[in-house]
Amino acid sequence: MAPSSVSEDERYRTSTQYRLWSFTPASLLELRTTTNRNAANRVREAVWRVREARAAASSGNTSEADGGNSRAVSAVPEGEVDCLSVEEELKLVTHFCRQTLQLGDHLQVPTDVKNWTLEQKLMALQATAVQYIKRFYITNSCMTYDPKTLLKTALFFATKTENHYFRLTKFAEAITATKPEEILASEFLLTQGLRFTFDVRHPFRALEGAVMELQAMANGQIPGGDKLRGMGRRVKEAHGKAREYLKTSALLTDVYFHYTPSQIMMASLLIADRQLISLYLGSKLPPGSANATISAKLMEALDKCAEMLQSLDEQSTADKKELGALAKKLRKCRNPEKIDLVSIQRAKREGDEEVDEKVVKKRKLEREQSAKEGEDLFGPTIKK
Amino acid sequence: MYRNAPKSAHDPSSNPLDDICPVCKSNRYLNPSLQFLINPECYHKMCSTCVDRIFTSGPSACPVPHCGHTLRKKGFRKAFFTDLHVEREVDIRKRVSEVFNRRQDEFETLLDWNNYLEEVESLVFDLVEGRAADKARAEEKLKEYRDAYREEIEGNRRMGREEVDGERRREKAEREGARVRRLAVAKEAEEEKADVEKGKRELLDRLAKSDGNANAITRQAQKVILKKSSARRNITEDALDSNGSANSGLSIRGLKKKVAPVEEKPYDPFAGVDLTPARYTVQESYDNEWLGNAKKDMRHMAGGYSLQEYYARTMFEAFSGLGVFIEEEVADRGQKGDSSVGTAAAAEASRGEINPGIKMETKGVLSRKCLSIKRSREARREKQAALLFKRKLRC
Repeated sequence: MAPSSVSEDERYRTSTQYRLWSFTPASLLELRTTTNRNAANRVREAVWRVREARAAASSGNTSEADGGNSRAVSAVPEGEVDCLSVEEELKLVTHFCRQTLQLGDHLQVPTDVKNWTLEQKLMALQATAVQYIKRFYITNSCMTYDPKTLLKTALFFATKTENHYFRLTKFAEAITATKPEEILASEFLLTQGLRFTFDVRHPFRALEGAVMELQAMANGQIPGGDKLRGMGRRVKEAHGKAREYLKTSALLTDVYFHYTPSQIMMASLLIADRQLISLYLGSKLPPGSANATISAKLMEALDKCAEMLQSLDEQSTADKKELGALAKKLRKCRNPEKIDLVSIQRAKREGDEEVDEKVVKKRKLEREQSAKEGEDLFGPTIKK
Repeated sequence: MYRNAPKSAHDPSSNPLDDICPVCKSNRYLNPSLQFLINPECYHKMCSTCVDRIFTSGPSACPVPHCGHTLRKKGFRKAFFTDLHVEREVDIRKRVSEVFNRRQDEFETLLDWNNYLEEVESLVFDLVEGRAADKARAEEKLKEYRDAYREEIEGNRRMGREEVDGERRREKAEREGARVRRLAVAKEAEEEKADVEKGKRELLDRLAKSDGNANAITRQAQKVILKKSSARRNITEDALDSNGSANSGLSIRGLKKKVAPVEEKPYDPFAGVDLTPARYTVQESYDNEWLGNAKKDMRHMAGGYSLQEYYARTMFEAFSGLGVFIEEEVADRGQKGDSSVGTAAAAEASRGEINPGIKMETKGVLSRKCLSIKRSREARREKQAALLFKRKLRC
C-alpha cells in the first residue's frame, strides 16, 4: 500500500467502497467470469431437473402437470440451453442501468420551481440505484435474477438510503405494471448481494467542491498561481460538461470500481477543460520530491479514467437490435427455479410461520406447566 | 517474627520489680534516687553511682561479665524507653537515617522510592537483629555508602535542617501574629465600651440641659452611637484585610517550592487526530450560484444550517482519495486472498438462498431509519479507523 499521511486519503480508505467494492480490471473480470460460469452451470442443472419432473408428470397424469408449476415449466425451452457470455451479460446490465436512470427521471416530481437540492438528491438517488445494480451483478448473474425486476427494487432501495423516501404503494404506482410484492420480493436478496453495504460515494458533491474552489481562484479569492484568461467562464463551462459525464458515463461504466470519486470527478473535469485542470492540479501538488511521483501517477490514472468515461460515447451507439436479441436470448436461458421470486418468498414465509406456531404452542404448554407447579406447596421442582 | 515483642518472660525490662542495679545490686528501696544509665556501646544498664565509681578515672571495661566493651563516662545517658531493645533500635535507626537521608522527590518513580526504602529497612533489620556477620556486612555497607555520597548526604541534611528551622520560624511567626491580633481585639473592645459609655453620658447631659423633646433627643443619640459602631466595624474589617495580605507577604525560607500543576487539557475524543485537510483550506465563503439564495434566506439559516459545514464536506469529498490508486493498492489486496472471498460470496449468492425471516411490510426489509443508522455507524467506524491509523503513525 502506498504510504500516505494525507488524512483525506486515509479516511477514504476506511470506506466500504474502498474496502469491498474496489477492484482492478483484471480481478473484476475474473469475478464476473466466475459468476457467469457458476450461474450457467446452475441454469443447466435446473433446466434438467425441471425436464425430469415434467417427464415424470407426463408419464403419470397429464392433467396434474398443468396445475403444479405450469409457469416455470412453460418457460423451459427445448434443446440445449444457450447461456449468455460475460460480455453479453455486461451489455445487458448496462442497458438496464440506463433504464434505471430513465425510470428515476420518470419518478421525478414535476416542480415549477427549479429546486436545486431536490435535483441533486434525485441525481444521487439514481446514481446509487445504478451502483447497487452494478455491484449486485458482479456476484450474481442476469440468468439467475432478472434485472428487470431487480432494478425496481434497487431504485426503491436507493430511495431509502438516499433519504428520499416514497411509500411503497406510491412507488409501485409510479412505475407502471408493478405490484408492491414484486419489489419487496428481491429486496433482501439485493442487500445480500450488496454485502450489506449501502454507502456509495459519489463524485457529485466533490465536483461542487472543486468548482467552488476554482471559482474562488478565478475571483482571486485564493492565490492560485497564474490565472487563465476568462477563467470564470471556463470554469462554468467545464462544470456543466463534467456534470453530464458524471451523470451518465460515470454511472454506466466501471469507473466506480476502479477509481475514487475524487479521481472520477477530476477526470471528468479533465475531459471538459484539460488546460484548466492541469493548472489546478499543479497548484494543488506543487512540484516537489514527494509530489512529483504522485502527480505523475495521478495524471496517468486520470487519463485512464477519462478514457474509460469517454468510451461510453462509442458504446451508446450499440444498436437496439443487438439488445433486443440479447433480451430474447436471456429469456431462453433464465434459471427456471428463480423466475417467480414472489412465490419463492411466500413459500419461505409460510414455512416460517408454521415453525413459529409450533414454538408458540410449546411455550404456552411450558407456561401452563410452570403455573401448575407454582401452586404446589413447595413450589416447582428445581431445574437441574 | 515480632522484633519489638519481649524476647522472653525473663526479660528484665518487663519486670516492674526489677529496680536493682545489676552491677552493685543496690535497690531502689534502699536508695530512692536510684537512676539507671546506659551506654549505647553495649546497652547494659547500671546505676549512676556505679557509673561514677567505675568510669570517673577514665575508660574502663564494662562490668557486666563477658561484655568486653570499653566504655567512657561521657557515653552514658538515661534510657528513653524502658525496653532497651527498642532504645537500641531507635538509636540505630537514627544513625542509619542520618546516612540514608534521601528524599522522595529525588526519585523518578514511586517504585524506585519504595525500593530504596525497602533496602534501608533491610539494612536496619540486619543491624538490629542480624548475627555478627550480618551486622558487620551492614556496617560495611553503611560506611561505604557514607563515603560514596558524602556530599549529597550533607546537602540533604542541611536541607532537612533548614526545613525544620523554617517550620519553627513559621510557627513562631504565627504565634506572634495571634498574640498581636488578640491584643488588638481586646483594645478594640475596650474602646467600643468607652465610646458607648461616653455617648450615654452625653445623652444624659443633653437631657439635663436642653428643653427639647426627650424622646427625640434619645432617638438621635441612639442613631449616633449606632453609626459610630458600624463605622468602627468597617475599619476593623479593612484592617483585617490588610493584615491578611501583610501576612502572606511574610517570606518563609526553606519551604519546598510549589510547582503549579499542569493545566489539564480539554478532553479530545479523537486522541489528537489531526483532521485538518492537507490539500485545501476551506475559505470563509464561496461564490456559488446555488447557494446564493441559501446565504440570504433567513429560512435556511434559522434552523442552524451552516454553509461552512457544506463547504467543508464538498471540499473534503473533492480531495478524499485523490491519492488513492486503486489499481496498485487493490492488486496487493488480491494476493491476500480477498478476491477469493468475493468469489465465495458469488457462489453463495448465485445459489440464491433467500434468507428466511423476510416479513412483508409496506416499508420493506429495512426501514429507512435502520439504514441511516447503518450509514452513520459506517461513518463512525471510518473515524475510528482514522484514529487508529494516526496512533500507528505516532508509534
